[in-house]
Amino acid sequence: MDALRGTGYDRGRMADAAPLDLAVEIAAGKRALTLANPVMVASGTFSYGVDQLKAFDVQRLGAVVSKTTTLRPRAGSPAGDRIDETPAGMLNSIGLQNIGMDKLVRDVAPAWARWKTPVIVSVLGSTVEEYGECAARLEGVAGVAGVELNISSPNAQQGGMEFGQDASTAAAVTAACRRATTLPVIVKLTPNVTDIASIARAAADAGADAVCAVNTLQAMAIDVRTRKPRITRVFAGLSGPAMKPVALRMVWQVSSAVSIPVIGCGGIMTGADAIEFLLAGATAVQVGTATFRNPTAPVDVLDGIVAYMRAEGVTDVRALIGAAKG
Amino acid sequence: MRTAYAEVIENGRLYGSTHLMWLRAPELARNAHPGQFMMLRCSDDEAYGDGIAHADDPLLPRPMSYHRVRAGAGGNEWSVLYDVVGRGTAWLSRRAPGDRVYAWGPLGNGYKVGRGSRNLLLVGGGIGIAPLVWLAEDAVAQGRNVTLVVGARSAEHVFPSSLLPREVEVVVTTDDGSAGRKGFATGPFAELLEWCDQAFACGPTPMFRAMADIARRAKVRRSVQALLEERMGCGTGICYGCAVKVRVRGGTAMKLVCKDGPRFDVRDVY
Repeated sequence: MDALRGTGYDRGRMADAAPLDLAVEIAAGKRALTLANPVMVASGTFSYGVDQLKAFDVQRLGAVVSKTTTLRPRAGSPAGDRIDETPAGMLNSIGLQNIGMDKLVRDVAPAWARWKTPVIVSVLGSTVEEYGECAARLEGVAGVAGVELNISSPNAQQGGMEFGQDASTAAAVTAACRRATTLPVIVKLTPNVTDIASIARAAADAGADAVCAVNTLQAMAIDVRTRKPRITRVFAGLSGPAMKPVALRMVWQVSSAVSIPVIGCGGIMTGADAIEFLLAGATAVQVGTATFRNPTAPVDVLDGIVAYMRAEGVTDVRALIGAAKG
Repeated sequence: MRTAYAEVIENGRLYGSTHLMWLRAPELARNAHPGQFMMLRCSDDEAYGDGIAHADDPLLPRPMSYHRVRAGAGGNEWSVLYDVVGRGTAWLSRRAPGDRVYAWGPLGNGYKVGRGSRNLLLVGGGIGIAPLVWLAEDAVAQGRNVTLVVGARSAEHVFPSSLLPREVEVVVTTDDGSAGRKGFATGPFAELLEWCDQAFACGPTPMFRAMADIARRAKVRRSVQALLEERMGCGTGICYGCAVKVRVRGGTAMKLVCKDGPRFDVRDVY
């Protein structure tokens, strides 16, 4: 849309169009995965990228992360009161409504195979073994560039956050998937823990190629008129700008604790927000809730990063990673 | 779907607690038809002094039906009819001519009028009148017979008949009998169902439930298209917030109001 909106760098100094290096590597070595730019769309905020109305060219993205998919399809939370709005944020309890692994491999992946943008499939299992089975199903599937392990959803009836709140189960899920596939494995962390660095270390030690910090913060809201929770399933995940300072702090902590790439996620609405995450130690970022408010948010964030780099005379985006740590 | 900043042409209270806003963004009216909707971002998002747009509250856009579309000097204009019920609609009500509102649309599947349908029965409960006015205008322009049942709490909440085409037969019901017939819009609906070829409705859940029962018990089978309302996060099928359980062959399925609807056969949902 508007290339400079929301960047803070929309005036002047735009003439010098030196070539910029935007590529980042979110997995190294044998499983190397390089993104053309650091902007990804977060799981659960872009469906499968193929069936919805899009306001921008998906090929401009660094990567797409699919809606979290389970071995068999799930209907998700009951209809009605799945989401709610809170100050500068939202609550969701979608409950992993998804098409299941068979349909994903059969009907959706072939479309991804025609993209130049890599697609990372977010998976969730009810057991450690089921995570491994999901990862195994994706091995060798054209159009699938990586796996993101959702051990952080606060809304799964089984699986999800329960695996991500304990270092040993986080390690077990990561190791099972590491064995099951040669694809890059990203572990998406939950902020609903006492010490996120220890969970990140466990995932890294178990073979994760990258970690993503963070999924939603468990939260709730109550309707004072009906005196009932505003979300049918009572607890939900908080996302949006209200989450950003928390997520940023965790990206700083996680990137100080592990040597693998960290992907920042949580309330990123603008290019300036994304820059903050890079400066805190993120190698790439995921844009999520912003896309609900602004259908072109992912590319607006990318344009904002570019405008910042031009204005600041930064030619390689990697120079920003962790730069705030001095 | 297209995105645009729409310019406010006029905005104000029309009757009761209901407001009318006309906006100009011709690209958002192109190819739109009655029953479709757009998303309106209901908060300031202009950059402040530091150039950073970080006004993110209220966060989520609001779905609004196309109320009417008309030709304007700078291209097609469209309107929304809304009750002020929360932070988003309160923000909308404060917009003045010349202000800009970010919007995207047209979205969803609108009403589907059969080629051979002569008699159309429209039923609006409360603010559910909003999408039916354009449908009525379109239908009478095509030479169809339209009966519009306008259900409201009381006289002051009744959409003014003077704003409807003269050809539309209007039946008013109010809960307290202060205007038209005392009772709900479902009364005239039951009486007129046999007359019509198709029925089109928008209103609160209890109204849809009653209509589904009436339609099921009716001697004649008529298509009754309901336009559903649900909390939405995105309007474009990516957040999965607006799920609705719908009867399908062999069972039920979880559908999204924004993408698979908002038009459903009332008997498939209630």
